[in-house]
Amino acid sequence: MPSPTLTRRAFLPAGLALGSLAAGGAVAQNAQPALTTAPVSQIDLSPRLTMHAIDTHNGSPGAGMKVQLSRYDGDDLHLLRRFETNKGGRTDEPLLLDAAYQPGRYELLLQLEDYFAARGTPLPKPNFLSQVPVRFRITNPAERIHLAILFTPWGYSYYRGS
Amino acid sequence: MAGISTHVLNSGTGRPGAGMRIDFSVRDGDGWKLVKTVTTNADGRTDQPVLAPDAARTGQYELLFHVGDYFRRQPGAGNDMPFLDTVPVRFAIFDTQQHYHVPMLCTPWSCSTYRGS
Repeated sequence: MPSPTLTRRAFLPAGLALGSLAAGGAVAQNAQPALTTAPVSQIDLSPRLTMHAIDTHNGSPGAGMKVQLSRYDGDDLHLLRRFETNKGGRTDEPLLLDAAYQPGRYELLLQLEDYFAARGTPLPKPNFLSQVPVRFRITNPAERIHLAILFTPWGYSYYRGS
Repeated sequence: MAGISTHVLNSGTGRPGAGMRIDFSVRDGDGWKLVKTVTTNADGRTDQPVLAPDAARTGQYELLFHVGDYFRRQPGAGNDMPFLDTVPVRFAIFDTQQHYHVPMLCTPWSCSTYRGS
Protein backbone atom coordinates (compact mmCIF):
# COMPACT_ATOMS: atom_id res chain seq x y z
CA MET A 1 0.00 0.00 0.00
CA PRO A 2 1.38 3.44 -0.84
CA SER A 3 1.78 5.77 2.11
CA PRO A 4 -0.28 9.01 2.18
CA THR A 5 2.87 10.91 1.31
CA LEU A 6 3.47 8.79 -1.76
CA THR A 7 -0.15 9.17 -2.85
CA ARG A 8 -0.01 12.94 -2.58
CA ARG A 9 3.27 13.08 -4.38
CA ALA A 10 2.47 10.60 -7.08
CA PHE A 11 3.49 13.18 -9.66
CA LEU A 12 7.09 13.15 -8.46
CA PRO A 13 9.59 11.71 -10.91
CA ALA A 14 9.68 7.96 -10.80
CA GLY A 15 13.44 8.09 -10.32
CA LEU A 16 13.07 9.61 -6.86
CA ALA A 17 14.23 7.06 -4.30
CA LEU A 18 11.45 5.73 -2.10
CA GLY A 19 13.80 5.59 0.86
CA SER A 20 14.66 9.25 0.78
CA LEU A 21 11.05 10.19 0.22
CA ALA A 22 9.98 8.25 3.28
CA ALA A 23 12.79 9.67 5.39
CA GLY A 24 12.32 13.24 4.26
CA GLY A 25 8.55 13.25 3.94
CA ALA A 26 7.80 14.86 7.30
CA VAL A 27 10.44 17.55 6.79
CA ALA A 28 9.33 18.28 3.25
CA GLN A 29 5.80 19.05 4.40
CA ASN A 30 7.02 21.86 6.69
CA ALA A 31 10.03 23.28 4.89
CA GLN A 32 9.39 26.26 2.63
CA PRO A 33 12.75 26.91 1.05
CA ALA A 34 11.38 29.22 -1.62
CA LEU A 35 9.56 31.36 0.91
CA THR A 36 12.30 32.02 3.40
CA THR A 37 14.15 34.80 1.62
CA ALA A 38 12.43 37.78 3.26
CA PRO A 39 14.66 40.83 3.59
CA VAL A 40 16.91 40.63 6.60
CA SER A 41 15.73 42.86 9.43
CA GLN A 42 18.36 45.32 10.58
CA ILE A 43 16.55 46.41 13.72
CA ASP A 44 18.88 46.65 16.72
CA LEU A 45 22.04 46.52 14.62
CA SER A 46 24.75 49.03 15.51
CA PRO A 47 24.84 52.33 13.57
CA ARG A 48 25.99 51.82 10.03
CA LEU A 49 25.61 52.94 6.44
CA THR A 50 24.30 50.37 4.00
CA MET A 51 23.00 50.66 0.46
CA HIS A 52 20.96 48.77 -2.08
CA ALA A 53 21.07 49.54 -5.80
CA ILE A 54 18.04 48.40 -7.78
CA ASP A 55 17.90 48.40 -11.58
CA THR A 56 14.26 49.24 -12.26
CA HIS A 57 14.94 49.18 -16.02
CA ASN A 58 15.68 45.44 -15.97
CA GLY A 59 13.78 44.62 -12.79
CA SER A 60 16.88 43.24 -11.11
CA PRO A 61 19.39 44.04 -8.40
CA GLY A 62 21.94 46.60 -9.53
CA ALA A 63 24.77 44.07 -9.46
CA GLY A 64 28.32 45.01 -10.36
CA MET A 65 27.77 48.76 -10.16
CA LYS A 66 31.06 50.56 -9.65
CA VAL A 67 30.74 53.13 -6.87
CA GLN A 68 32.95 55.62 -5.07
CA LEU A 69 32.15 56.69 -1.52
CA SER A 70 33.48 60.11 -0.52
CA ARG A 71 33.12 62.44 2.42
CA TYR A 72 33.08 66.22 2.34
CA ASP A 73 35.66 68.11 4.37
CA GLY A 74 34.39 71.65 3.90
CA ASP A 75 34.11 72.03 0.14
CA ASP A 76 36.64 69.30 -0.55
CA LEU A 77 35.53 65.81 -1.41
CA HIS A 78 37.74 63.05 -0.01
CA LEU A 79 37.53 59.57 -1.48
CA LEU A 80 36.98 56.94 1.23
CA ARG A 81 36.71 53.82 -0.89
CA ARG A 82 35.85 52.33 -4.26
CA PHE A 83 33.72 49.24 -4.47
CA GLU A 84 31.39 47.24 -6.64
CA THR A 85 27.91 46.12 -5.63
CA ASN A 86 27.45 42.39 -5.17
CA LYS A 87 24.93 40.08 -6.88
CA GLY A 88 22.19 41.40 -4.64
CA GLY A 89 22.93 45.02 -5.50
CA ARG A 90 24.24 45.48 -1.95
CA THR A 91 27.71 45.41 -0.47
CA ASP A 92 29.15 42.48 1.43
CA GLU A 93 30.09 44.74 4.34
CA PRO A 94 28.51 47.97 5.62
CA LEU A 95 30.00 51.03 3.92
CA LEU A 96 30.56 52.72 7.26
CA LEU A 97 30.38 51.00 10.59
CA ASP A 98 30.68 51.93 14.27
CA ALA A 99 33.62 54.36 14.71
CA ALA A 100 33.78 55.05 10.96
CA TYR A 101 30.12 56.05 10.99
CA GLN A 102 30.52 59.78 11.60
CA PRO A 103 28.18 62.72 11.02
CA GLY A 104 28.94 64.63 7.87
CA ARG A 105 28.15 65.11 4.23
CA TYR A 106 28.77 62.11 2.01
CA GLU A 107 28.48 61.29 -1.64
CA LEU A 108 28.23 58.06 -3.57
CA LEU A 109 29.19 58.32 -7.23
CA LEU A 110 27.60 55.60 -9.36
CA GLN A 111 29.06 54.65 -12.74
CA LEU A 112 25.63 54.32 -14.28
CA GLU A 113 26.56 54.66 -17.95
CA ASP A 114 29.18 51.90 -17.63
CA TYR A 115 26.65 49.72 -15.85
CA PHE A 116 24.12 49.85 -18.70
CA ALA A 117 26.77 49.79 -21.43
CA ALA A 118 28.05 46.51 -19.96
CA ARG A 119 24.54 45.09 -20.37
CA GLY A 120 24.25 46.16 -23.99
CA THR A 121 21.46 48.62 -23.25
CA PRO A 122 21.08 51.02 -26.22
CA LEU A 123 22.20 54.45 -25.02
CA PRO A 124 22.88 57.81 -26.63
CA LYS A 125 26.49 58.98 -26.62
CA PRO A 126 27.14 60.45 -24.15
CA ASN A 127 24.28 59.01 -22.16
CA PHE A 128 21.80 61.35 -20.47
CA LEU A 129 23.16 60.05 -17.13
CA SER A 130 26.74 58.90 -16.79
CA GLN A 131 28.17 59.37 -13.29
CA VAL A 132 25.33 59.78 -10.82
CA PRO A 133 26.06 61.58 -7.53
CA VAL A 134 24.00 60.51 -4.53
CA ARG A 135 24.59 63.13 -1.86
CA PHE A 136 23.27 62.85 1.69
CA ARG A 137 24.02 63.68 5.30
CA ILE A 138 24.58 61.56 8.33
CA THR A 139 23.34 63.70 11.19
CA ASN A 140 22.81 61.35 14.11
CA PRO A 141 25.54 58.73 14.61
CA ALA A 142 23.19 56.76 16.84
CA GLU A 143 20.82 56.04 13.93
CA ARG A 144 21.80 53.79 11.06
CA ILE A 145 21.09 54.79 7.47
CA HIS A 146 20.09 52.48 4.68
CA LEU A 147 20.27 54.13 1.30
CA ALA A 148 18.05 52.72 -1.40
CA ILE A 149 18.88 53.77 -4.97
CA LEU A 150 16.53 52.94 -7.83
CA PHE A 151 17.77 53.72 -11.31
CA THR A 152 17.19 53.43 -15.05
CA PRO A 153 19.22 54.92 -17.93
CA TRP A 154 16.89 57.95 -17.78
CA GLY A 155 16.29 58.62 -14.14
CA TYR A 156 16.91 57.65 -10.55
CA SER A 157 15.55 57.98 -7.10
CA TYR A 158 17.10 57.58 -3.70
CA TYR A 159 15.75 57.69 -0.21
CA ARG A 160 16.41 56.80 3.38
CA GLY A 161 15.25 53.23 3.48
CA SER A 162 15.05 50.69 6.25
CA MET B 1 11.81 73.53 -28.18
CA ALA B 2 15.33 72.55 -27.16
CA GLY B 3 17.28 73.65 -24.09
CA ILE B 4 16.87 72.77 -20.43
CA SER B 5 13.96 73.26 -18.06
CA THR B 6 13.12 71.98 -14.60
CA HIS B 7 10.21 71.62 -12.20
CA VAL B 8 10.41 71.13 -8.45
CA LEU B 9 7.64 69.21 -6.74
CA ASN B 10 7.28 68.74 -3.00
CA SER B 11 6.18 65.09 -2.93
CA GLY B 12 5.36 65.33 0.77
CA THR B 13 2.65 67.92 0.28
CA GLY B 14 1.79 67.26 -3.34
CA ARG B 15 2.50 70.93 -4.11
CA PRO B 16 4.95 72.77 -6.35
CA GLY B 17 8.31 73.38 -4.71
CA ALA B 18 8.25 77.19 -4.74
CA GLY B 19 11.24 79.31 -3.78
CA MET B 20 13.91 76.62 -4.13
CA ARG B 21 17.35 77.82 -5.14
CA ILE B 22 18.98 75.99 -8.05
CA ASP B 23 22.55 76.52 -9.22
CA PHE B 24 23.05 75.69 -12.89
CA SER B 25 26.55 74.78 -14.01
CA VAL B 26 28.32 73.46 -17.08
CA ARG B 27 31.21 71.04 -17.12
CA ASP B 28 34.47 72.88 -17.62
CA GLY B 29 37.51 70.62 -17.74
CA ASP B 30 37.64 68.70 -14.47
CA GLY B 31 35.30 71.07 -12.67
CA TRP B 32 31.99 72.84 -13.00
CA LYS B 33 31.47 76.44 -14.04
CA LEU B 34 28.46 78.20 -12.53
CA VAL B 35 26.27 79.62 -15.26
CA LYS B 36 23.52 81.09 -13.11
CA THR B 37 21.48 80.73 -9.96
CA VAL B 38 17.71 80.65 -10.26
CA THR B 39 14.82 80.36 -7.81
CA THR B 40 11.66 78.43 -8.55
CA ASN B 41 8.46 80.44 -8.89
CA ALA B 42 5.07 79.74 -7.30
CA ASP B 43 4.54 76.89 -9.78
CA GLY B 44 7.89 75.26 -8.91
CA ARG B 45 9.27 76.20 -12.31
CA THR B 46 11.64 78.94 -13.44
CA ASP B 47 10.34 82.08 -15.14
CA GLN B 48 12.95 81.77 -17.86
CA PRO B 49 14.32 78.53 -19.32
CA VAL B 50 17.31 77.23 -17.39
CA LEU B 51 19.08 77.05 -20.74
CA ALA B 52 17.58 78.72 -23.80
CA PRO B 53 17.31 76.69 -27.02
CA ASP B 54 19.84 78.79 -28.91
CA ALA B 55 22.35 78.41 -26.07
CA ALA B 56 22.20 74.60 -26.02
CA ARG B 57 25.50 72.84 -26.65
CA THR B 58 26.33 69.18 -26.27
CA GLY B 59 28.08 68.58 -22.97
CA GLN B 60 27.64 67.85 -19.31
CA TYR B 61 25.44 69.98 -17.10
CA GLU B 62 24.55 70.15 -13.43
CA LEU B 63 21.48 71.35 -11.60
CA LEU B 64 22.22 71.74 -7.89
CA PHE B 65 18.95 71.76 -5.98
CA HIS B 66 19.03 73.33 -2.50
CA VAL B 67 16.58 70.84 -1.08
CA GLY B 68 17.66 71.13 2.57
CA ASP B 69 17.27 74.91 2.72
CA TYR B 70 13.89 74.63 1.05
CA PHE B 71 12.52 72.20 3.63
CA ARG B 72 14.02 74.14 6.56
CA ARG B 73 11.84 77.08 5.52
CA GLN B 74 8.63 75.07 5.41
CA PRO B 75 6.06 75.47 8.21
CA GLY B 76 6.71 73.11 11.09
CA ALA B 77 10.27 72.30 10.04
CA GLY B 78 12.59 71.57 12.93
CA ASN B 79 16.18 72.67 13.27
CA ASP B 80 17.58 69.25 12.55
CA MET B 81 20.22 69.04 9.87
CA PRO B 82 18.49 67.38 6.95
CA PHE B 83 19.24 64.02 5.36
CA LEU B 84 19.20 65.80 2.00
CA ASP B 85 21.00 69.12 1.79
CA THR B 86 22.11 70.05 -1.71
CA VAL B 87 21.19 67.50 -4.38
CA PRO B 88 23.24 67.58 -7.58
CA VAL B 89 21.76 66.20 -10.80
CA ARG B 90 24.28 65.76 -13.60
CA PHE B 91 23.22 64.96 -17.12
CA ALA B 92 24.27 65.36 -20.73
CA ILE B 93 22.81 67.21 -23.64
CA PHE B 94 23.62 64.68 -26.34
CA ASP B 95 21.53 66.27 -29.10
CA THR B 96 21.00 70.03 -29.15
CA GLN B 97 17.80 69.65 -31.16
CA GLN B 98 16.10 67.88 -28.25
CA HIS B 99 14.64 69.40 -25.13
CA TYR B 100 15.78 68.30 -21.68
CA HIS B 101 13.22 68.65 -18.93
CA VAL B 102 14.74 67.56 -15.64
CA PRO B 103 12.27 67.55 -12.74
CA MET B 104 13.10 67.19 -9.05
CA LEU B 105 10.60 65.42 -6.85
CA CYS B 106 11.59 65.59 -3.22
CA THR B 107 10.82 65.19 0.45
CA PRO B 108 13.30 65.73 3.30
CA TRP B 109 14.18 62.01 3.02
CA SER B 110 13.97 61.21 -0.67
CA CYS B 111 14.39 62.59 -4.14
CA SER B 112 13.77 61.50 -7.68
CA THR B 113 14.74 62.86 -11.05
CA TYR B 114 14.34 61.72 -14.64
CA ARG B 115 14.20 62.99 -18.16
CA GLY B 116 10.69 64.40 -18.42
CA SER B 117 8.92 66.24 -21.19
